[in-house]
Amino acid sequence: MSEHSSLALLLLGPAGGAGLYWGLYRYYRNTDKSHAFERETKVDAKPVTGSDVKVGTNNGTQDSRISGDNVREYRTRVQRIRSGSG
Amino acid sequence: MSDSNNPPKYTGPGSPQDVPPQPGELGFDPYNTPKPIRDEVLKPDPVAIDTNAKELKDGANQCPKCGATDFRQKPGTDLLICAFCRNEWRAERIEEEFGLGDGQDQLAGTIVASGASDIAADEAVLRTFKCNCCGAEVTINTQSEMTARCHWCRNIFGVNQQVKNGAVPDAVLPFHVKKDDAVARIRQFVDKRRFFALKEFKEEFTPENVVPVYLPYMIVDGKASADVAGKGEIETRRYTRGEGNNKRTYYDADVYQVDRHIDFTVDDLPLESSSERANLNTSVNTNNIINTILPFDTKNAVKWNASYLRGCTSEKRDLNVAQLQPKLVDQLLSIARAQVEGSVNRYGRGVRWEREGLDVHGSRWVSMYLPVWLYSYYQQSDDGGLLHYIAVNGRTGETMGSVPIQQWKLITVALTVGSFLETIALWIVAHSS
Repeated sequence: MSEHSSLALLLLGPAGGAGLYWGLYRYYRNTDKSHAFERETKVDAKPVTGSDVKVGTNNGTQDSRISGDNVREYRTRVQRIRSGSG
Repeated sequence: MSDSNNPPKYTGPGSPQDVPPQPGELGFDPYNTPKPIRDEVLKPDPVAIDTNAKELKDGANQCPKCGATDFRQKPGTDLLICAFCRNEWRAERIEEEFGLGDGQDQLAGTIVASGASDIAADEAVLRTFKCNCCGAEVTINTQSEMTARCHWCRNIFGVNQQVKNGAVPDAVLPFHVKKDDAVARIRQFVDKRRFFALKEFKEEFTPENVVPVYLPYMIVDGKASADVAGKGEIETRRYTRGEGNNKRTYYDADVYQVDRHIDFTVDDLPLESSSERANLNTSVNTNNIINTILPFDTKNAVKWNASYLRGCTSEKRDLNVAQLQPKLVDQLLSIARAQVEGSVNRYGRGVRWEREGLDVHGSRWVSMYLPVWLYSYYQQSDDGGLLHYIAVNGRTGETMGSVPIQQWKLITVALTVGSFLETIALWIVAHSS
């Protein structure tokens, strides 16, 4: 067994204990819940328009996702621009 | 010059002695001004929909059949029932009465219904009304109550005229979920969370103490456009390098500049219009619980009639449209981001949105009381304690709650499980090396 895998295995105890704590904490306290207005509001949208332009490559990365992937983090705000100029 | 007996007479803009002009009064003729100024001045003002119930004069809120003032909501329905003649009737649905159900795509500017208009800072919470039955004066604390009984003649009062202290909304959504049902739902919710619950909470748990509360919300229709821009990546190649335990996976990807534009309308987005309730900081309160039981079937809200609030408490609105605008923009941006997600599915490695913009073309604001069954428990602690809520949506029955935790018990179990897993991990490491 490599040093890497042994270290990962040794983290099993603390990670399992902490995971259980936070999982149960949230189940009782529901601190992660709020109104899912993105899904639960009636929205009437026209077809999405836009453009996709290839600007480069990212070769030889070990990350399986793009860095800073926020496609599902709807509520995380990013730099504001004037609508229509973006 | 002035002396102490004749204080100076202040005039001009901003002087407190000046009588404010009539609405629409400009003090000059706009047709004699340059075109750019004239055009700006003559643009339409924000339109207010007058939802004031003229037929419900205070103290004269009467059964349409016999004229009695003692009537209340028929449990589980939107009907009002007279305690004398048993006549049943229904208040008009606000959507049909004021045409709020459609036309979202025609919205322009900010349209504020009269019950959602700005709160006057000097407007008192305690309001005194003259009983039109016997002439006695009755005071109602509009902070938490909207009806009262005249202590002399037993005539029932309702605050039906819109007063500018935020207590009277445009509409009310009557309770449908009955108390027994709410109690059963709260009990069911807590029964699933008993093992690690605080001992004192379990001992004092009496869901029969649940109270019906009308909480203030702004219900917003909006028309907006949004633009988002960022980078997306599509995997072109995946390969491994290295041998044995040092084997690593590598990815090659094409990077794209992604731009999206969307035009959309939203219908009946609810926003908390009580500043206390709008604070959703879960480290200091459990208001997120009440937020979670949204949405309500606000389409069925009826024109304001205080009789629906008999036997219930209510919380007064203290936020105006301008104060809620940033929250609306934030939620519309979130909705836009959710809406464009489907258009970037081809980017298998995900998208990093970097810039976003929103243009709200129009919005329509209606204030509303929404029904919530609320059970609360105060957990005392050295750092000020925490009020835990268990809330039941008074229409849909959706239930959510915060159950206080017996920390030592949860920590002990987490440590035990962690130690058990660690023992297994140590055994595997020891036997594989």
